[in-house]
Amino acid sequence: MKQKQRTLALSLTVAVGTAFAASTAMAQAIDSKRIEANNPNDWLTYHGSYNSYHYSGLTQINAKNVKDLSVAWIHIPGHSTRGLQSMPLVADGVLYYSGSYSRVFAIDGATGQVLWSYFPELDDALVARQTHSPYNRGVALGEGKVFVGTVDGRLIALDMKTGKPVWDTKLIDSQKLTIGFTGAPLYVNGEVVIGSQGGEWPVRGMIYAVDATTGKLRWDFNTIAPTDETKKTWGNDSWRVGGGGGWMPGGYDAETNTIWWGTSNGAPLYDWSGPDWMHNGARPGTNLYISSVLGLDAASGKLKFFHQENPHDVWDFDSAVGEFLMIDRAGQKYVVHPNKGGYIFVYDRSANVKNVWPISHNINYAKIDPKTGELTDRRDMTAGKQAEVLCPHISGGVSWNAGSYDPKTGLYYKIGNEWCMHLEVVKTTPVTTPQVQLNIGANFTIAPPPNGPIYGHLDARDPITGQTKWEVRFPEPPLASVLSTGGDLVFVPDARGTVHAYDATTGKELWNHGDGTGHQGGIISYAAHGKQYVAVVAGFGGMASDDYAPTFGGVFKSMPRDDGALVVYSLSK
Amino acid sequence: MKNLTLCSVVAIAAMVSAVPAMAQPADQASHLDVNQLFATTCGWCHSDGGRVAGKGPQLMNTKRSDDFIRYRIKHGKEGAMPAFGSTLNDADIDKIIQYIRALKPEQP
Repeated sequence: MKQKQRTLALSLTVAVGTAFAASTAMAQAIDSKRIEANNPNDWLTYHGSYNSYHYSGLTQINAKNVKDLSVAWIHIPGHSTRGLQSMPLVADGVLYYSGSYSRVFAIDGATGQVLWSYFPELDDALVARQTHSPYNRGVALGEGKVFVGTVDGRLIALDMKTGKPVWDTKLIDSQKLTIGFTGAPLYVNGEVVIGSQGGEWPVRGMIYAVDATTGKLRWDFNTIAPTDETKKTWGNDSWRVGGGGGWMPGGYDAETNTIWWGTSNGAPLYDWSGPDWMHNGARPGTNLYISSVLGLDAASGKLKFFHQENPHDVWDFDSAVGEFLMIDRAGQKYVVHPNKGGYIFVYDRSANVKNVWPISHNINYAKIDPKTGELTDRRDMTAGKQAEVLCPHISGGVSWNAGSYDPKTGLYYKIGNEWCMHLEVVKTTPVTTPQVQLNIGANFTIAPPPNGPIYGHLDARDPITGQTKWEVRFPEPPLASVLSTGGDLVFVPDARGTVHAYDATTGKELWNHGDGTGHQGGIISYAAHGKQYVAVVAGFGGMASDDYAPTFGGVFKSMPRDDGALVVYSLSK
Repeated sequence: MKNLTLCSVVAIAAMVSAVPAMAQPADQASHLDVNQLFATTCGWCHSDGGRVAGKGPQLMNTKRSDDFIRYRIKHGKEGAMPAFGSTLNDADIDKIIQYIRALKPEQP
C-alpha cells in the first residue's frame, strides 16, 4: 500500500491587469518587522502577534465603561456551512476575514462596508467527499497580500487592495489524499507557512513554506518520518500511512529566526497495541514526529529541535494547537504551549521542558512528569470495549481555539474542558484507494466525567506554574478563542451564543451580549479612526460543536449549522 | 425533519470500482466488513457503531427507507456527510443497510 505524498508546487500566476507588482504601495507595508512591532490598532497575524498573546493593548474599552458596549456593525457572509471558525485580521483600519469555502472579505473596520470579496472556485466534487470541510480558520497578511488556504489543497494570495488573485499554488494532491488546508497561514520574512489538515488520514502530513512574492514552494517539512532514523520509530513501515500534518498556524521566535509549529496525531487515530506499543499494534514505536512541537529554521525549514508531547499518541491528543506563548520572566525565556490532552507544556526557547501542568481536571489518559515531560500511567488500550471512560473527550481538554495572555496581569486566560468518552477499540485497515479515507480505529460515544457533568471553564492561570487565580464555569464547554485587553478585560464568546466580558483581575462578569448563535472561532480588538472595536465571529456546526445538540439539547437543538455572522462592537457613548 | 447521515468507506481496496454504482452488475458480491467500516470512518459521526446519535443521527431503528439511505450514502449532504458514491458499490451499500437494520442496543 505504498503511498507517495507528492508536493504539487504548481505556481499559477494569475494575470491581474498588467504585471504583478511585488509589493503594493500601502500606508506602511506589512512585513515581519511590522508584525513584530505589534501596533495595538492592528491585528496582523492569527495569534495577534508572533508571541501568540491574543492580547490587545487598547484601553478605550475598559472595565469601567464596558457596560456601554453595543453592536457597531454586522457582516453576514452567507453560505456559512459548518459555521464561522476564523480569526479576523485588521491592518490600517481594514478588517479581513474568511468564511466557509475560503471566501475572503475585506471590510471597512469603522463602517462595515465591504470593500471587496473573493470566492475561490473549489473542487466541489472533492469537497462533497470530505469530512473536515468546508470551513476555514483564517488568513494571513504580508507584503500587500492576503493569503488563504483551501480544502482542495491550494494556497492563494490576493491583492490586499483589490481582492484580485496574485498567485494560486497547488500544494496537496487532495483528490487522492482527501486532506487540504483549513488552518490559517503564518507570514514570516517573505514566506507563507501553512500545515496540512489531518492526523487520522493515512497520509504523510506536511508543513509548507511558499514564497510570498512568487507563490513558489521554498521548503516543505514532512511530519511523518522524514529521515531514515525517524522511519525506525514506525514499525512495519507504518510511516507510509502515518497521518500527521499541522492543522493550525504556529508561532515565530524572531531572535533565533525559528518557526514553532505543532503536529497532528497519527493514523490510525487509536491503536490496539496495548502497553507494548514499541513492538505491537498498528504503528509500533514512538512515531516521530506526530503530536510534537517542532522548531524549524524559518529560512530553510530544517529541524532545529523538537519535543514529542505524546509519544505514540493513541488518543488524538495532538500538538497542533497553534499557541506558542513567548514569555520572558526573571531572565528566562519561556514558550508555553497547550496540548489537546489538557496539559500545558512550558519550554525554554529550544523546547526543553521546564514544567507541565494540567488545565483540565479530568485527565486519565496519562500522567506527565512536570520536570521531564515524560508520560507515566499511560492508557494504552487493546482491541475491545474499554471498561473505563477515557478523559478528556476526543474534542480535547483544550480545543483548538486560542487562550489569551495579558502581560499587565501576567495571567493566561485559557479554556479547559471536562468531558470523556466511551470507547471500543477496533482493528482497522488503512484505505488509500481510490481516495484516502479516515482511519479512526474505534467506535466512541461522548460521556460525562466519572464524578460529575460535562462542563467547561475559563481559568486565569500563571502560565509558567499553572497556579489558578480565578475560574469561571460554563454549562457547556466554550469552543471559541479568548481575548484579553489593556482595559483590564477578558472576553469569552460561549457556545450558546453569548459574548461575556470579565474583569481580568477578579473574574467578575461585567458585560454580556447575545450574538444569536454559538461561537467557535476568533475574537480580536482593533482601532479605526481613533475608535476601538471588538470583532467576533459567530456560527456553530464544526467538528466539536456537532456533538452539542445530542449531548446538551436545549438551544443547541435548533442552532443552525450553516449560518454565521461577524459581529463588531464599540462603545455606544 | 432530521436528515439521516451515514459515514462509510470501502474496507477492501480491491473491491473498489470507479464505475458508477448504478452501472454495476446486480450479482456483484460485497466483501465489506461493516463493523470495521464504522470503526474506520463512519464512527466519527455515528457513535457506538450507529447505535446512538453523535455528530450525525442515530442509525439504529431509523425510520428512513432503504432508498433514502442508499441515496444519502452515495451523494452525502453538504456540510454534514461526505458522498461515498465513488467508493462504494450497490452491493456494499446494501450490506451497510442490512447492518443498520440489524442494529441492536449493546448488551451490558
